[in-house]
Amino acid sequence: MKLANDPRLDALCGEYLVGTLRGRARRRFERALREEPLVALRLRHWEQTALPLYSQAIAVQPARGAWKRLERELQLDRYRPSWFQRVGIWRAWAAAATLAFVLAIVLPAVLPLLPGPQPVEIASLQSEDRRILLHADLSADRRVLQLRAARPVIAGPDQSYELWLLPADSGAPISLAVLGALDAQVAVPARYAEGLRAGAKLAVSVEPAGGSPTGAPTGPVILVGDVRG
Amino acid sequence: VIKPRSTYVLDEQELKRLLLRTAVRGQESAAAFEALYRKCAPLLLGIARRIIGRRELAEEVVHDSFVRIWRSAEQFDASSGQAFAWMVAIVRNRAIDVLQSHDVARVQPLDLDDEAEADGLFDWALGPEDDVDAKRTARALHRCLTELQAAERQSLVLAYAHAMSHTELASHLHKPLGTVKGLIRRGLAHLRDCLERCAEAVR
Repeated sequence: MKLANDPRLDALCGEYLVGTLRGRARRRFERALREEPLVALRLRHWEQTALPLYSQAIAVQPARGAWKRLERELQLDRYRPSWFQRVGIWRAWAAAATLAFVLAIVLPAVLPLLPGPQPVEIASLQSEDRRILLHADLSADRRVLQLRAARPVIAGPDQSYELWLLPADSGAPISLAVLGALDAQVAVPARYAEGLRAGAKLAVSVEPAGGSPTGAPTGPVILVGDVRG
Repeated sequence: VIKPRSTYVLDEQELKRLLLRTAVRGQESAAAFEALYRKCAPLLLGIARRIIGRRELAEEVVHDSFVRIWRSAEQFDASSGQAFAWMVAIVRNRAIDVLQSHDVARVQPLDLDDEAEADGLFDWALGPEDDVDAKRTARALHRCLTELQAAERQSLVLAYAHAMSHTELASHLHKPLGTVKGLIRRGLAHLRDCLERCAEAVR
Protein backbone atom coordinates (compact mmCIF):
# COMPACT_ATOMS: atom_id res chain seq x y z
CA MET A 1 0.00 0.00 0.00
CA LYS A 2 1.21 3.45 -0.84
CA LEU A 3 2.10 5.47 2.19
CA ALA A 4 0.79 8.62 0.54
CA ASN A 5 -2.77 7.42 1.09
CA ASP A 6 -2.18 6.10 4.57
CA PRO A 7 -4.24 7.88 7.24
CA ARG A 8 -1.19 7.69 9.48
CA LEU A 9 0.91 9.78 7.08
CA ASP A 10 0.84 12.94 9.20
CA ALA A 11 1.61 10.97 12.34
CA LEU A 12 4.57 9.31 10.64
CA CYS A 13 5.89 12.61 9.33
CA GLY A 14 5.62 14.03 12.83
CA GLU A 15 7.37 11.11 14.49
CA TYR A 16 10.06 11.20 11.80
CA LEU A 17 10.70 14.90 12.35
CA VAL A 18 10.63 14.62 16.11
CA GLY A 19 13.01 11.68 15.87
CA THR A 20 11.02 8.95 17.59
CA LEU A 21 10.60 6.97 14.39
CA ARG A 22 13.47 4.50 14.66
CA GLY A 23 14.93 1.36 13.15
CA ARG A 24 12.98 -0.49 10.49
CA ALA A 25 10.04 1.90 10.65
CA ARG A 26 12.36 4.83 9.92
CA ARG A 27 14.04 3.07 7.01
CA ARG A 28 10.66 2.16 5.53
CA PHE A 29 9.57 5.77 5.82
CA GLU A 30 12.78 7.00 4.17
CA ARG A 31 12.24 4.61 1.29
CA ALA A 32 8.74 6.00 0.84
CA LEU A 33 10.25 9.51 0.86
CA ARG A 34 12.40 8.58 -2.11
CA GLU A 35 9.73 6.69 -4.01
CA GLU A 36 6.59 8.68 -3.34
CA PRO A 37 6.71 12.38 -4.13
CA LEU A 38 3.51 13.02 -2.18
CA VAL A 39 5.09 11.70 1.00
CA ALA A 40 8.13 13.92 0.50
CA LEU A 41 5.86 16.88 -0.13
CA ARG A 42 3.87 16.26 3.03
CA LEU A 43 7.04 15.95 5.09
CA ARG A 44 8.35 19.19 3.66
CA HIS A 45 5.13 20.91 4.66
CA TRP A 46 5.58 19.79 8.24
CA GLU A 47 9.26 20.66 8.16
CA GLN A 48 8.36 24.22 7.32
CA THR A 49 5.51 24.67 9.74
CA ALA A 50 6.26 22.43 12.68
CA LEU A 51 10.01 22.67 13.21
CA PRO A 52 11.22 25.43 15.48
CA LEU A 53 14.32 27.37 14.51
CA TYR A 54 17.27 26.67 16.73
CA SER A 55 18.71 29.58 18.63
CA GLN A 56 22.25 30.69 17.86
CA ALA A 57 22.73 30.79 21.61
CA ILE A 58 23.44 27.06 21.65
CA ALA A 59 26.10 27.29 18.92
CA VAL A 60 29.54 25.87 19.74
CA GLN A 61 32.70 26.63 17.77
CA PRO A 62 34.10 23.44 16.18
CA ALA A 63 37.54 22.30 17.32
CA ARG A 64 40.53 23.88 15.63
CA GLY A 65 41.59 21.92 12.60
CA ALA A 66 38.11 20.48 12.05
CA TRP A 67 37.70 22.31 8.76
CA LYS A 68 41.21 21.38 7.58
CA ARG A 69 40.46 17.74 8.24
CA LEU A 70 37.27 17.94 6.23
CA GLU A 71 39.05 19.76 3.43
CA ARG A 72 41.72 17.07 3.26
CA GLU A 73 39.32 14.17 3.46
CA LEU A 74 37.15 15.49 0.63
CA GLN A 75 40.17 16.71 -1.40
CA LEU A 76 38.51 20.06 -1.85
CA ASP A 77 41.56 21.51 -3.60
CA ARG A 78 40.18 19.99 -6.76
CA TYR A 79 37.31 22.46 -6.58
CA ARG A 80 39.31 25.63 -6.18
CA PRO A 81 40.53 27.78 -9.05
CA SER A 82 44.17 27.13 -9.92
CA TRP A 83 46.54 30.02 -9.36
CA PHE A 84 46.55 31.29 -12.91
CA GLN A 85 42.76 31.30 -12.99
CA ARG A 86 42.74 33.25 -9.76
CA VAL A 87 45.04 35.97 -11.03
CA GLY A 88 43.53 36.07 -14.49
CA ILE A 89 45.07 34.95 -17.72
CA TRP A 90 46.70 38.30 -18.63
CA ARG A 91 48.25 38.79 -15.29
CA ALA A 92 49.50 35.20 -15.47
CA TRP A 93 50.97 36.01 -18.88
CA ALA A 94 52.65 39.10 -17.46
CA ALA A 95 54.04 37.06 -14.58
CA ALA A 96 55.41 34.46 -16.98
CA ALA A 97 56.98 37.16 -19.18
CA THR A 98 58.61 38.76 -16.16
CA LEU A 99 59.97 35.42 -15.10
CA ALA A 100 61.40 34.81 -18.57
CA PHE A 101 63.03 38.24 -18.46
CA VAL A 102 64.57 37.50 -15.11
CA LEU A 103 65.90 34.18 -16.34
CA ALA A 104 67.29 35.63 -19.55
CA ILE A 105 68.78 38.94 -18.41
CA VAL A 106 69.17 39.20 -14.70
CA LEU A 107 70.16 35.71 -13.73
CA PRO A 108 73.37 35.43 -15.82
CA ALA A 109 74.53 38.70 -14.29
CA VAL A 110 73.71 37.67 -10.77
CA LEU A 111 74.68 34.04 -10.90
CA PRO A 112 78.47 34.49 -10.49
CA LEU A 113 77.76 36.61 -7.44
CA LEU A 114 75.73 33.94 -5.78
CA PRO A 115 77.73 32.07 -3.19
CA GLY A 116 78.76 28.69 -4.53
CA PRO A 117 80.86 26.19 -2.62
CA GLN A 118 83.45 28.27 -0.80
CA PRO A 119 87.08 28.23 -2.08
CA VAL A 120 89.71 27.04 0.39
CA GLU A 121 92.96 28.85 1.09
CA ILE A 122 95.76 26.48 0.17
CA ALA A 123 98.82 28.73 0.53
CA SER A 124 99.98 32.11 1.69
CA LEU A 125 103.03 33.49 -0.11
CA GLN A 126 105.38 35.98 1.48
CA SER A 127 108.29 38.09 0.42
CA GLU A 128 111.53 37.65 2.29
CA ASP A 129 111.10 40.99 4.04
CA ARG A 130 107.46 40.01 4.79
CA ARG A 131 106.19 43.25 3.33
CA ILE A 132 104.14 41.51 0.70
CA LEU A 133 101.57 38.86 1.55
CA LEU A 134 99.61 36.93 -1.04
CA HIS A 135 96.83 34.46 -0.28
CA ALA A 136 96.04 31.69 -2.74
CA ASP A 137 92.51 30.20 -2.59
CA LEU A 138 91.60 27.09 -4.58
CA SER A 139 88.02 26.65 -5.74
CA ALA A 140 86.06 23.62 -4.62
CA ASP A 141 86.48 21.97 -8.03
CA ARG A 142 90.26 22.67 -7.87
CA ARG A 143 90.18 24.42 -11.25
CA VAL A 144 90.43 28.09 -10.22
CA LEU A 145 93.14 29.68 -8.11
CA GLN A 146 92.22 33.04 -6.65
CA LEU A 147 95.17 35.24 -5.63
CA ARG A 148 94.48 37.97 -3.07
CA ALA A 149 97.26 40.39 -2.21
CA ALA A 150 97.10 42.01 1.21
CA ARG A 151 97.71 45.29 -0.65
CA PRO A 152 97.68 45.96 -4.39
CA VAL A 153 100.94 45.13 -6.16
CA ILE A 154 101.21 45.94 -9.85
CA ALA A 155 104.09 45.02 -12.15
CA GLY A 156 106.18 47.79 -13.72
CA PRO A 157 105.70 48.68 -17.45
CA ASP A 158 108.48 46.41 -18.70
CA GLN A 159 108.04 43.47 -16.39
CA SER A 160 105.50 40.76 -15.50
CA TYR A 161 105.00 38.52 -12.53
CA GLU A 162 104.92 34.79 -13.14
CA LEU A 163 103.26 32.22 -10.87
CA TRP A 164 105.02 28.90 -10.53
CA LEU A 165 104.14 25.57 -9.13
CA LEU A 166 107.13 23.91 -7.50
CA PRO A 167 106.13 20.21 -7.47
CA ALA A 168 106.38 18.12 -4.32
CA ASP A 169 108.78 15.73 -6.12
CA SER A 170 111.26 18.62 -6.64
CA GLY A 171 110.74 18.47 -10.39
CA ALA A 172 111.14 21.57 -12.59
CA PRO A 173 108.93 24.56 -11.78
CA ILE A 174 105.71 24.63 -13.80
CA SER A 175 104.42 27.99 -15.03
CA LEU A 176 100.81 28.51 -14.05
CA ALA A 177 100.26 32.10 -15.15
CA VAL A 178 101.82 35.37 -16.20
CA LEU A 179 100.39 38.26 -14.23
CA GLY A 180 100.27 42.02 -14.52
CA ALA A 181 99.13 42.37 -10.93
CA LEU A 182 99.23 40.03 -7.99
CA ASP A 183 95.44 40.15 -7.55
CA ALA A 184 94.33 37.64 -10.14
CA GLN A 185 92.17 34.69 -10.97
CA VAL A 186 94.10 31.81 -12.51
CA ALA A 187 92.64 28.84 -14.30
CA VAL A 188 94.49 25.72 -13.24
CA PRO A 189 95.15 23.34 -16.14
CA ALA A 190 93.61 19.98 -15.37
CA ARG A 191 96.96 18.19 -15.55
CA TYR A 192 98.39 20.37 -12.79
CA ALA A 193 95.40 20.37 -10.49
CA GLU A 194 96.67 17.21 -8.80
CA GLY A 195 100.05 18.88 -8.17
CA LEU A 196 98.50 21.49 -5.88
CA ARG A 197 98.90 19.45 -2.72
CA ALA A 198 100.92 19.33 0.46
CA GLY A 199 104.66 19.27 -0.19
CA ALA A 200 104.44 21.48 -3.28
CA LYS A 201 105.16 25.20 -3.22
CA LEU A 202 103.81 28.22 -5.03
CA ALA A 203 106.18 30.98 -6.03
CA VAL A 204 106.08 34.28 -7.89
CA SER A 205 109.07 35.55 -9.88
CA VAL A 206 109.70 38.84 -11.66
CA GLU A 207 110.12 38.27 -15.41
CA PRO A 208 110.40 40.39 -18.53
CA ALA A 209 107.08 41.67 -19.82
CA GLY A 210 105.13 38.71 -21.23
CA GLY A 211 106.78 36.16 -18.95
CA SER A 212 109.86 34.01 -18.80
CA PRO A 213 111.40 33.55 -22.26
CA THR A 214 112.86 30.16 -21.27
CA GLY A 215 109.94 28.42 -19.59
CA ALA A 216 111.80 28.47 -16.28
CA PRO A 217 112.10 31.32 -13.76
CA THR A 218 114.72 33.79 -14.90
CA GLY A 219 114.23 36.78 -12.56
CA PRO A 220 114.23 37.02 -8.80
CA VAL A 221 111.65 34.99 -6.85
CA ILE A 222 109.85 37.57 -4.77
CA LEU A 223 107.20 35.41 -3.09
CA VAL A 224 107.10 31.79 -1.98
CA GLY A 225 104.79 29.69 0.17
CA ASP A 226 103.99 26.07 1.00
CA VAL A 227 100.88 24.43 -0.37
CA ARG A 228 98.73 22.98 2.41
CA GLY A 229 96.60 19.82 2.06
CA VAL B 1 17.27 51.78 22.62
CA ILE B 2 18.62 48.42 21.61
CA LYS B 3 16.89 47.17 18.55
CA PRO B 4 15.45 43.70 19.16
CA ARG B 5 17.53 41.45 17.00
CA SER B 6 16.93 37.88 16.00
CA THR B 7 19.54 35.45 17.22
CA TYR B 8 18.75 33.36 14.16
CA VAL B 9 21.31 34.86 11.84
CA LEU B 10 21.38 32.28 9.10
CA ASP B 11 20.06 33.72 5.88
CA GLU B 12 18.07 30.97 4.19
CA GLN B 13 18.52 32.42 0.68
CA GLU B 14 22.26 32.66 1.20
CA LEU B 15 22.46 29.05 2.41
CA LYS B 16 20.51 27.83 -0.63
CA ARG B 17 22.84 29.69 -2.93
CA LEU B 18 25.88 28.18 -1.22
CA LEU B 19 24.40 24.68 -1.40
CA LEU B 20 23.73 25.06 -5.12
CA ARG B 21 27.25 26.30 -5.78
CA THR B 22 28.56 23.38 -3.75
CA ALA B 23 26.49 20.96 -5.80
CA VAL B 24 27.75 22.10 -9.22
CA ARG B 25 31.28 20.81 -8.49
CA GLY B 26 33.04 23.69 -10.19
CA GLN B 27 36.00 25.90 -9.36
CA GLU B 28 33.93 27.77 -6.78
CA SER B 29 32.46 24.75 -5.05
CA ALA B 30 35.12 24.44 -2.37
CA ALA B 31 34.79 28.13 -1.44
CA ALA B 32 30.99 27.85 -1.29
CA PHE B 33 31.18 24.72 0.82
CA GLU B 34 33.67 26.37 3.16
CA ALA B 35 31.37 29.39 3.59
CA LEU B 36 28.50 27.01 4.31
CA TYR B 37 30.62 25.27 6.92
CA ARG B 38 31.70 28.50 8.61
CA LYS B 39 28.11 29.71 8.82
CA CYS B 40 26.41 26.50 9.88
CA ALA B 41 28.90 24.27 11.66
CA PRO B 42 28.74 26.05 15.05
CA LEU B 43 24.95 25.79 15.36
CA LEU B 44 24.92 22.24 13.96
CA LEU B 45 27.57 21.31 16.50
CA GLY B 46 25.43 22.82 19.25
CA ILE B 47 22.47 20.75 18.06
CA ALA B 48 24.55 17.58 17.85
CA ARG B 49 25.86 18.16 21.35
CA ARG B 50 22.35 18.57 22.71
CA ILE B 51 21.53 15.21 21.22
CA ILE B 52 24.68 13.28 22.07
CA GLY B 53 25.73 14.99 25.24
CA ARG B 54 29.44 14.51 24.51
CA ARG B 55 31.55 17.08 22.76
CA GLU B 56 33.97 14.79 20.94
CA LEU B 57 31.25 12.52 19.59
CA ALA B 58 29.28 15.58 18.53
CA GLU B 59 32.35 16.80 16.58
CA GLU B 60 32.47 13.45 14.80
CA VAL B 61 28.79 13.67 13.98
CA VAL B 62 29.23 17.12 12.47
CA HIS B 63 32.26 15.99 10.49
CA ASP B 64 30.42 12.99 9.07
CA SER B 65 27.40 15.16 8.37
CA PHE B 66 29.41 17.63 6.32
CA VAL B 67 30.94 14.78 4.34
CA ARG B 68 27.38 13.73 3.64
CA ILE B 69 26.29 17.29 2.84
CA TRP B 70 29.15 17.61 0.33
CA ARG B 71 28.31 14.31 -1.31
CA SER B 72 24.56 14.78 -1.51
CA ALA B 73 24.32 18.53 -2.02
CA GLU B 74 22.88 17.91 -5.46
CA GLN B 75 19.95 16.05 -3.91
CA PHE B 76 18.87 19.14 -2.04
CA ASP B 77 15.75 20.52 -3.67
CA ALA B 78 16.18 24.26 -3.54
CA SER B 79 12.76 25.03 -4.99
CA SER B 80 10.83 23.65 -2.07
CA GLY B 81 13.24 22.64 0.68
CA GLN B 82 14.67 24.62 3.54
CA ALA B 83 18.44 24.54 3.39
CA PHE B 84 19.16 24.68 7.10
CA ALA B 85 16.38 22.24 7.99
CA TRP B 86 17.87 19.86 5.42
CA MET B 87 21.26 20.04 7.11
CA VAL B 88 19.75 19.71 10.57
CA ALA B 89 17.97 16.54 9.43
CA ILE B 90 21.30 15.10 8.26
CA VAL B 91 22.96 15.95 11.57
CA ARG B 92 20.07 14.58 13.63
CA ASN B 93 19.92 11.35 11.68
CA ARG B 94 23.67 10.87 12.00
CA ALA B 95 23.53 11.66 15.72
CA ILE B 96 20.73 9.15 16.26
CA ASP B 97 22.73 6.49 14.39
CA VAL B 98 25.80 7.19 16.52
CA LEU B 99 23.73 7.08 19.70
CA GLN B 100 22.43 3.66 18.75
CA SER B 101 25.66 2.16 17.42
CA HIS B 102 27.93 3.43 20.20
CA ASP B 103 25.34 2.50 22.74
CA VAL B 104 26.18 5.84 24.25
CA ALA B 105 24.73 5.59 27.68
CA ARG B 106 24.36 9.35 27.81
CA VAL B 107 27.32 9.95 30.02
CA GLN B 108 26.09 12.84 31.98
CA PRO B 109 22.44 12.14 32.62
CA LEU B 110 20.88 15.12 30.92
CA ASP B 111 20.12 17.65 33.56
CA LEU B 112 17.10 19.22 32.07
CA ASP B 113 14.81 21.89 33.14
CA ASP B 114 12.22 20.67 30.71
CA GLU B 115 10.01 23.71 30.96
CA ALA B 116 12.77 26.18 30.24
CA GLU B 117 14.26 23.89 27.60
CA ALA B 118 12.11 24.96 24.68
CA ASP B 119 12.73 28.63 25.28
CA GLY B 120 16.49 28.34 25.52
CA LEU B 121 16.96 26.06 22.55
CA PHE B 122 14.79 27.67 20.00
CA ASP B 123 14.42 31.07 18.54
CA TRP B 124 10.82 32.19 18.70
CA ALA B 125 11.39 35.90 18.47
CA LEU B 126 12.47 36.55 14.94
CA GLY B 127 13.77 40.02 14.32
CA PRO B 128 11.90 42.66 12.34
CA GLU B 129 14.08 42.09 9.30
CA ASP B 130 13.29 38.39 9.03
CA ASP B 131 10.94 37.18 6.38
CA VAL B 132 7.25 37.58 7.17
CA ASP B 133 6.25 33.99 6.51
CA ALA B 134 8.97 32.64 8.78
CA LYS B 135 7.88 35.00 11.52
CA ARG B 136 4.27 34.00 11.22
CA THR B 137 5.17 30.30 11.25
CA ALA B 138 7.41 30.66 14.26
CA ARG B 139 4.72 32.55 16.18
CA ALA B 140 2.05 29.99 15.30
CA LEU B 141 4.29 27.11 16.31
CA HIS B 142 5.17 28.71 19.59
CA ARG B 143 1.52 29.37 20.42
CA CYS B 144 0.50 25.87 19.43
CA LEU B 145 3.23 24.35 21.57
CA THR B 146 2.13 26.35 24.58
CA GLU B 147 -1.44 25.18 24.03
CA LEU B 148 -0.36 21.56 24.33
CA GLN B 149 -0.71 19.69 27.57
CA ALA B 150 2.47 20.13 29.58
CA ALA B 151 3.34 16.43 29.40
CA GLU B 152 2.84 16.33 25.63
CA ARG B 153 4.96 19.40 25.09
CA GLN B 154 7.68 18.07 27.37
CA SER B 155 7.85 14.75 25.52
CA LEU B 156 7.98 16.41 22.10
CA VAL B 157 10.71 18.85 23.07
CA LEU B 158 12.82 16.16 24.70
CA ALA B 159 12.42 13.85 21.73
CA TYR B 160 13.26 16.57 19.24
CA ALA B 161 16.02 18.44 21.04
CA HIS B 162 17.77 15.43 22.52
CA ALA B 163 16.70 12.75 20.09
CA MET B 164 15.39 10.58 22.90
CA SER B 165 13.81 7.36 21.82
CA HIS B 166 10.48 6.23 23.26
CA THR B 167 12.37 4.01 25.69
CA GLU B 168 14.70 6.77 26.84
CA LEU B 169 11.78 9.14 27.26
CA ALA B 170 9.96 6.56 29.35
CA SER B 171 12.87 6.18 31.73
CA HIS B 172 13.60 9.91 31.83
CA LEU B 173 9.97 10.80 32.55
CA HIS B 174 9.35 7.79 34.79
CA LYS B 175 6.34 6.78 32.74
CA PRO B 176 5.37 3.50 31.09
CA LEU B 177 6.47 3.10 27.47
CA GLY B 178 2.89 2.98 26.20
CA THR B 179 2.03 6.21 27.96
CA VAL B 180 5.01 7.97 26.40
CA LYS B 181 4.13 6.73 22.92
CA GLY B 182 0.63 8.04 23.46
CA LEU B 183 1.92 11.43 24.62
CA ILE B 184 4.03 11.82 21.51
CA ARG B 185 1.27 10.69 19.18
CA ARG B 186 -1.39 12.89 20.74
CA GLY B 187 1.01 15.81 21.10
CA LEU B 188 1.83 15.66 17.38
CA ALA B 189 -1.83 15.37 16.44
CA HIS B 190 -2.78 18.38 18.56
CA LEU B 191 0.13 20.33 17.18
CA ARG B 192 -0.94 19.51 13.64
CA ASP B 193 -4.56 20.51 14.24
CA CYS B 194 -3.52 23.75 15.86
CA LEU B 195 -1.07 24.61 13.04
CA GLU B 196 -3.68 23.89 10.41
CA ARG B 197 -6.17 26.14 12.18
CA CYS B 198 -3.53 28.89 12.19
CA ALA B 199 -2.84 28.40 8.48
CA GLU B 200 -6.55 28.60 7.66
CA ALA B 201 -6.92 31.73 9.76
CA VAL B 202 -4.28 33.36 7.58
CA ARG B 203 -6.05 32.42 4.37
